[in-house]
Amino acid sequence: MVTTEAEARAAQPILQLRAIEKVFDQFAAVDRITLDIQEGEFFTIVGPSGSGKTTMVRMLVGMDKPTRGDILLRGQRINDVPANKRPTCMVFQSLALFPHRTVGQNIEFPLKIRGVDPAARKKRALELLAQLRLPDHYYGKAVTQCSGGERQRVALARALAFDPEILFFDEPLSALDYKLRKVLEKELKDIHRQTGKTFVYITHSLEEAMVMSDRIGVMNRGRFVQVGTPNEIYGSPTTRFVSEFMGEVNILDVTVGPDGTATDDVTGARYLVPPSAGAGPCSLVIRPESLRFVDGPSQAHNVVTGTVYNEYLLGSRVQYQIRVGEKQVLLLENLRDQRYEGDLDSPVTVGWDTGDSMIFPKGPLQ
Amino acid sequence: MNEIGRPARWLYGMLIALVLLFVYLPMMTLVMASFSRSKFFKFPIPQFATNWYADVFASLSIRSFFWTSLVIALLVATIATVLAFFGALAFARYRWAGRKLYQKVLLLPILFPQAVLGLALLLWFSAIGVTPSWQAAVFAHLVWIAPITTLVIAIQVYSFDPAMEEAAVDLGATRWQTLKEVTLPILTPGIVSGFLSAFLLSWANFPLSMFSTGADQTIPEWISAKIQSGYTPQVPAVGTLTMLAAVIVMALGGFAAWLHARRRAGLA
Repeated sequence: MVTTEAEARAAQPILQLRAIEKVFDQFAAVDRITLDIQEGEFFTIVGPSGSGKTTMVRMLVGMDKPTRGDILLRGQRINDVPANKRPTCMVFQSLALFPHRTVGQNIEFPLKIRGVDPAARKKRALELLAQLRLPDHYYGKAVTQCSGGERQRVALARALAFDPEILFFDEPLSALDYKLRKVLEKELKDIHRQTGKTFVYITHSLEEAMVMSDRIGVMNRGRFVQVGTPNEIYGSPTTRFVSEFMGEVNILDVTVGPDGTATDDVTGARYLVPPSAGAGPCSLVIRPESLRFVDGPSQAHNVVTGTVYNEYLLGSRVQYQIRVGEKQVLLLENLRDQRYEGDLDSPVTVGWDTGDSMIFPKGPLQ
Repeated sequence: MNEIGRPARWLYGMLIALVLLFVYLPMMTLVMASFSRSKFFKFPIPQFATNWYADVFASLSIRSFFWTSLVIALLVATIATVLAFFGALAFARYRWAGRKLYQKVLLLPILFPQAVLGLALLLWFSAIGVTPSWQAAVFAHLVWIAPITTLVIAIQVYSFDPAMEEAAVDLGATRWQTLKEVTLPILTPGIVSGFLSAFLLSWANFPLSMFSTGADQTIPEWISAKIQSGYTPQVPAVGTLTMLAAVIVMALGGFAAWLHARRRAGLA
């Protein structure tokens, strides 16, 4: 088979991490991570605070050096290349806009450093303002006078002016309110399509990652717990940690017997569960939307009886808190037009199908 | 909320007026004494005159003391600001082994009684064979003033987001370009106030100058000497002029701060 040079280039990942490790005082903040990121991909690293995601991105942009392992950019080892010599750049969590400069001067900064003449700089800055839907007159505005969303756009414009091969983001939206964040997430995805650049994004919100990414890497304690498309992460999480990270889930402590059925450690009820890797103590995870009200045991693989204790309206959806016995609380989510008609505190039967539940053995890597 | 009642507000006003009176009345007395014709201060002043100012401006010796003071203060302010700029970055910006100790050691000279510090320096100068002179005074002032300037600039450095320097480097700037384009301009207000405070502290300093200038003399030294022997109303006249110089320097600083704030707000 004949491969052209262009095909070979396209096949090679733009960024390769080879067992990179960052050790602080004998603590591995990033613990032997190997990963390939493809040209043009929107890759999101998601994890709780302290999971090592910021340490990792600081090594990728060149602000820290890995203790061990290699970082390859288009096949070239770049471990020792300082940040200002790398063709990559980052949008910071604090945005790090220069307060003594106008919007235009901020955007032009990388071009000025490169010695581009003022007229060409201004032309490019105005193009970027237009691309990010900021009016032309913002060119002369002080960045200190801009709103949170506008500052985000200026920071992104400044990074795009650099024309990086890979653009990194370190939780730039985390300080904004929910509504604005939702708008900017979508804008960012648009910008990704328009520019065709490789984006590597860091966030602690899996929800944010789902909206924007081509692929997601879920990080915990310095390692990737799971890497996959948003669909894979949501549909088939490989650990309890990943399933929990997505949002509210019901987690039941169960013990799987030799016959493959699970016994609830709290209520003693028996459930049919998906085939599991082994017997013994496990976590049974059921999403609230997989749980439904049923009339009897014939309508679902597993049923439990309890009482409706609370109802929460979530706009297009509605959630119910179901109390089972003294100690167990389940969360059930329905569409708003399938509201529960009965009274609170009245007995109900709820159920779920085996295929809608997930079972993870209890172990150190959860 | 925190509304102040009428009697409380009245008391408040009284208190402020008293404080202002307490602080500024002695200085007003000084100004009045300098404009009195009589050699000794009487109140109310029998006859106003400006002859003591004429004497001051005519006096070649006072003129030379003025230049000595000015040159010392300018040199001290310049050197202290340069040292303090880098010292403040080490103090407030970078994490390094021994930073805590450095922060404490740096503050010690400020807490020493200046007379003791002056004596120590004098002994030190004689031990290493340096003749006391205005150059030695520059060094003596620096020992006390550079730490203060460092603190003044460090306050500004504390409010500086280190990510801004990282962002500049990330966008391709060298260390030097980062310093020139980002760090220095953002720290300018702190640097200016550090320079001004260093200038004023040196300009007004007596104890350290007394021990270190040797045959040279600064304005505060001259004032002190004249009070001990040979008082004339030239002394309050020089005092008033010295104060005026300090006020002008502070006003210039205030004007610079106002210009800076205006520019940052995007009005100019």
